[in-house]
Amino acid sequence: MSGLLPPRAFLAVVAVFASAAFGSAQAPRSKADAGGFPAPTPELERGRAVYVLSSCHFCHGVDLTGAQMGATDLMHSPLIAADQNGNFIGPVVRAGKPNLQTAMPSYPDLTAQEIADLAAYVHYLRRQGRYRELTMDADEQGDARAGEAYFNANCATCHSRSGDLAGVASKYGTALRSRILRPGDDLAPAGTDPTSAGRIQHGKLLERYAAADVRNVISFLREAAR
Amino acid sequence: MTHGPMILTRREFGKLLAAAPLAAGAAQQQRPLYSINGVGIGLETFSFHDLPPSGDARLIPTIISNMKAIGIGECEIMSGHIEPWPTSATGWWVQSRRAPGFQQLREDARKWRLSVPMSYYTNIRKQFEDAGLRIYLYNVNFNETFTDEERDKTFEAAKALGAAGFSSSTVISEARRLVPFVERHKMFVAMHNHNNLVDPDQFATPQSFETALAMSPYFKATLDIGHFVAGNNDPVAFIKKHHDRTVNIHVRDRKRNNGPNRPFGQGDTPIPEVLRLIRDEKYPIRCYLEYEYGSFKSSVDEVKACLDYCRRVLS
Repeated sequence: MSGLLPPRAFLAVVAVFASAAFGSAQAPRSKADAGGFPAPTPELERGRAVYVLSSCHFCHGVDLTGAQMGATDLMHSPLIAADQNGNFIGPVVRAGKPNLQTAMPSYPDLTAQEIADLAAYVHYLRRQGRYRELTMDADEQGDARAGEAYFNANCATCHSRSGDLAGVASKYGTALRSRILRPGDDLAPAGTDPTSAGRIQHGKLLERYAAADVRNVISFLREAAR
Repeated sequence: MTHGPMILTRREFGKLLAAAPLAAGAAQQQRPLYSINGVGIGLETFSFHDLPPSGDARLIPTIISNMKAIGIGECEIMSGHIEPWPTSATGWWVQSRRAPGFQQLREDARKWRLSVPMSYYTNIRKQFEDAGLRIYLYNVNFNETFTDEERDKTFEAAKALGAAGFSSSTVISEARRLVPFVERHKMFVAMHNHNNLVDPDQFATPQSFETALAMSPYFKATLDIGHFVAGNNDPVAFIKKHHDRTVNIHVRDRKRNNGPNRPFGQGDTPIPEVLRLIRDEKYPIRCYLEYEYGSFKSSVDEVKACLDYCRRVLS
């Protein structure tokens, strides 16, 4: 049967398996079940339970990558990017989308805690997926001036190229991209100290970066090393 | 009287096929392969959420082994499980048509449909028949992105699969286009509903079904009783009125008011009342299980649980 696959379909199948292999190579995880892999913390596992038992995964995918039934691509949805602790996700989930062609069901019975758990899990999945996507971007050609503008708008409150980030490009070399995307463990506790706050902020940025943003910031930081 | 539980052996199935050539008309007369107290039970292959992707050589063997593990002999099979394309590639979801690369993918799918030999489909049919199973309905979601040539080829494909007809999540405007095709091929298309009450082109209400049923005697209903209830409609009343035009029902349990799917018995869908109505009135309506509630268990385990529920309410 695979011999009859047109080239694009064959490539899609290969991509699915390559993606699965890549994902499994990132970190050893417990055994998967029908709802994907167990989450790394009890709090996120509660969110996974809401996600799976509400059957979100059938349309949005166990890892947000498999949008089916005309469902919104949550990996790239601006609404998810803007969401804070379920403030946008909650109303949509509770009301459903009855005007969609196959109507997203409503979940009016979910509690505030369940919505918060669900939102945390969706953001976790999104950060995992966006990290995979952005680290696989092989294009190194960035615009340093655009990177400077992005840096000034999004990073300069905490960082300075000539201050704390001086020499960062030569220090990390080819690992600079992954350091920018995920400077520390993104499962850090949500404290109010500067390190925790910084990691929370980086998690939000990770969900929102366009591929070009990352390329441009890398070019901007490398420019200083020349 | 209980006809099942039983699955025909390969030899018995071969005899059945030899006695009943699978022209569309003959296929429509086939008795269900599995029944509980006279109620024919099958499944919609959408129930298997953990299958290999479209086009993967393992997909059909997995469906077959799943059906055998559950003990159900007859299915309505999705086009995305037959063709090397997910259903989104052939234009069903309007939202998917906006995706980058959709036009090229759709054109590739069309070229494939028009060029693939019929032996591709008969080989799949043979795999089912060799296992003592049957494809009774081919689930193709006809839509405005189909060309007429493509519609014709899709009817030929359904015949090659041995299907009695189609189940289709389509729309009323497409049903109008399909009238000459069902008449020419003498093959039914059973309209499947969701619960979008906003778009009048969608199948969701009794009136939407009745609009299509009036267009041609070859138009029938695949009533999804869960979606029907989610749209605050009454499946018992619909079946009493339209049992002679209802080929099969999709058995699922949803809450009213566009509520979620639930494990059988936990939603608002009157599954026991519907199944008992079909049993007591001896309506020749097939009841196809459709598993779509959330679970950490495998699809096979959950379809078995759905089947056990039906056994209990029909015992």
